Amino acid sequence: MVPTDRTALSRRLDGARTHAAGVADAIGARGAFLATCCVLLVVFYYPVGTVLVAAFTRGGDPSLAPLWATLTDPFYFGALAGALADPASVPGAIAEWAEAGFPAVRTGLFGFTAFLALLGTAGAVAVGLPGAYVLARYEFPGRETVRSLTVVPFVLPAIMVAVGFTTMFGTNGALNDVLSLVGLSVDVAFGLPIVVAALTFYNAPLVTRFVVAATETVDVRAVETARTLGAPRWRAVVDVVVPQVLPSFLAGVLIVFVFDFMAFPIVLALGGLRLATVEVWIYSLASDLRIPEAASLAVLEAAITLALTYVYLRVERRGGRDTATASVPRVPLLGPPSAGRLLALAYACIALVLYVGPLASMVAESLTRGGSLSAANYAFLLAQQLGSGGARPTVAVSNSLLFAVGAVALAVPMGVSVAVVTGGEGRLRRLSGALLMAPLAVSGVVTGIGLLRGLVFGVDLFGYHLAVTGPVAIVAAHAVGGYPFVVRNVAPLLARVEDDLVAAARTLGAGPTRAFRDVTLPLVAPGVVAGAAFAFAISVGEFNATIVLARDGASYTMPIALERYLSNPSVGPYLGPAAAMGTVLLVVTAASFVVVERLGGRWER
Amino acid sequence: MSLELAGVERAYGDATALRGVDLTVRDGEFFTLVGPSGCGKTTTLRCIAGLETPDAGAVRFDGTDVSGVPPEERDVGVVFQHYALFPMMTVRENVAYGLRFDPPAEKSVEDRVTELLALVDLEGMGGRDPDALSGGQRQRVALARALAPAPDVLLLDEPLSALDARLRDELRLELTRVQRELGVTTVYVTHDQSEALAVSDRLAVLNDGRVEQVGEPEAVYETPETRFVAAFLGENNCLDGRAVGGETKGSTVRVGDASFAVTGDHRGAVTCCVRPESMDVNATHNRFEARVADVEFLGDGYRVHFDWNGRSIVARLDDAPTGRVTLGFDPDEAVVLER
Repeated sequence: MVPTDRTALSRRLDGARTHAAGVADAIGARGAFLATCCVLLVVFYYPVGTVLVAAFTRGGDPSLAPLWATLTDPFYFGALAGALADPASVPGAIAEWAEAGFPAVRTGLFGFTAFLALLGTAGAVAVGLPGAYVLARYEFPGRETVRSLTVVPFVLPAIMVAVGFTTMFGTNGALNDVLSLVGLSVDVAFGLPIVVAALTFYNAPLVTRFVVAATETVDVRAVETARTLGAPRWRAVVDVVVPQVLPSFLAGVLIVFVFDFMAFPIVLALGGLRLATVEVWIYSLASDLRIPEAASLAVLEAAITLALTYVYLRVERRGGRDTATASVPRVPLLGPPSAGRLLALAYACIALVLYVGPLASMVAESLTRGGSLSAANYAFLLAQQLGSGGARPTVAVSNSLLFAVGAVALAVPMGVSVAVVTGGEGRLRRLSGALLMAPLAVSGVVTGIGLLRGLVFGVDLFGYHLAVTGPVAIVAAHAVGGYPFVVRNVAPLLARVEDDLVAAARTLGAGPTRAFRDVTLPLVAPGVVAGAAFAFAISVGEFNATIVLARDGASYTMPIALERYLSNPSVGPYLGPAAAMGTVLLVVTAASFVVVERLGGRWER
Repeated sequence: MSLELAGVERAYGDATALRGVDLTVRDGEFFTLVGPSGCGKTTTLRCIAGLETPDAGAVRFDGTDVSGVPPEERDVGVVFQHYALFPMMTVRENVAYGLRFDPPAEKSVEDRVTELLALVDLEGMGGRDPDALSGGQRQRVALARALAPAPDVLLLDEPLSALDARLRDELRLELTRVQRELGVTTVYVTHDQSEALAVSDRLAVLNDGRVEQVGEPEAVYETPETRFVAAFLGENNCLDGRAVGGETKGSTVRVGDASFAVTGDHRGAVTCCVRPESMDVNATHNRFEARVADVEFLGDGYRVHFDWNGRSIVARLDDAPTGRVTLGFDPDEAVVLER
């Protein structure tokens, strides 16, 4: 008899080849792809390149001096800098250090950033892991909703989260309002605890998602086999479940650490320069136009985060990929009290305070003025008056929406053409895929600096001075940041379009373009819409590049205006306007979430 | 419309799929490409459809070279193995799709679609989604869709392989009925040799990117020209030996210690092929003794596996024997192939 698996294999091979050629021919996808590459070259690779080049040149000549200067500066690398500058002195220094009784070692800016990221990661694990346990172990009404809601914090604009935390935990926040009833008060505003809490808020759901997804790949029969072989329940869990979940958990921890390491808006808004991290310092240096120093820092930061990302990818690949035919059954959460159920309920209360608290405080703050219900804060958003920090609220709101529309209009064709062309197999396609997805891995601040230097300040080309305006650069940066999400949403649907469907349309008389329009496009439409909604949300919340590019109030977006409000002490006790704008951001993001969720889109990067 | 393939070659990277295929399909013929997986039959079909471009050689429609003509400009209808129905369209919209580009001259699109649905026994199913149909129904829709623009050539790529056995037989009969009714030139691809024998006017056996033999099913079955064809179409006992000739009306083939009389003049190394149904316990010629190794009951008889001095012999017998049995075959029944 003919081996059918070989038939299937050869058919698949044939299919992959003809599909790649067939679809790429369509819509002149190659033309759109080339256009996308040009756009990326102009608004990403060239600008980022000009920044990074600054780290490797001195006075126009190639040089490692700027990088070396940064590496050996104790301000950045603490004790390590001294060791690098003069390796011979290390033994002596260690002896001295031992003699002095092991005093605290200076860790420098990188050390502090790592420390902060470590705290944030610990917080994310402390909150995220129990959450994963509850979601994996218990069944309760609304479980699926909670599970899908765990993606929301991840896509909320970070600066809005900062506003939420200020209205909740700030000096005049909701927490102190409650505490003042019993005559107490806490002051956590603009300090390490509130930054760590906000980072936890942001990344704990990521840990939860990674772990829950991994537990769903555990086959109940493996656990049952262990039990029938004599393992007690706890032992079966340790021997069967833990090894399957561990790689995903470690991958989650690593990626959270990377995100925390690069965290920018939260640290800037809630910590200020007193809690400066590498990313904040890059921004600060760039604001003072100390580009070589900023570039050196950016290169070193990228080296660290890319190395960690590489490890993450290696670890993630080890994780279970199979889906269990029968997953481990969950226990009803509601039922006679047991230790587990009580702990789960206690956890639910803490999670409620951590997650609903800041958002609810923000919405409440936006709806009140002077202790009574009022729409005054929203009226302020519509007013033409000059807000604090040179931000006109109306301009910020309309800018945000306008830029987002522009970014979506650019990101969708870019994303679709990249998804079509990189959809096939092969080394070249994988390479081009990686190069095209690189914007995800490079800090927005660096992109912003590059765009500012390369395009807004202008370049001289063939005797012409070419420059683009700030808003155009902002839209470009947002599109670059958003299009990978279009790719991520469209590519899986595209892969599921059977090659023979397009072939069938062709043999029935449709040309390549027509076949793409009639067959492929309707089948990937949900992905396109989800990707567009995603790009919209990304644009509306984008902070890192925008804050560099928005040089004056006329091109401020909502997140930038929010940061101005938060950092301006003259705003004083009146967080209302900021809260109102934060609420608008929340509504826009939530609307995007609903669109994506309805269309079964992918939020994960 | 007649088809001609002349020296068609196609390679994928290092893997060669077609190594020079020459074929002629006559107007109105039901022509089958049969062979094991990877033999190049689907690639050949796709070259005819224009979904693949040959690296060398020509594909001719009625003598006109169509190389470089895209699929939408060739008048072909294709039925794909896994139906390839457009999931976002109803049955009616699927069947009507090809008519968007080639509207029927004398009647409305509506009437044409209704006519096609009637042809494949799917009256009244037009409003359904493909998802709501059974496998057999989907394949009928795919056939109706391919036939709707009245193509000159109908190409069928393993259209029945995804169906269960009973349905397969039923649809096979229907397929041949529809093809004869319309008289459309048809190329049918299958790996199933019994299907190929059952439906074809003529068939081509493909192996490793080459055509092994072309002919009417009976002719190819009864007089295979290569050992591959002998073994692939139906079952066969292929015994390697030496022909020594000498007899007045034929030759003698020595296989091991045995000598078999065969017709025709043969010399040197040969393979002597005898069908299981030609093996007979009551034969008067070419008798040899073999041991029963295994017996399978098939309903209308038995397939008996023998061990003959270390060689496997298969015979179709009416009764199940045991122990050692004397088998034989008529000299006319053996096909002798030079090695």
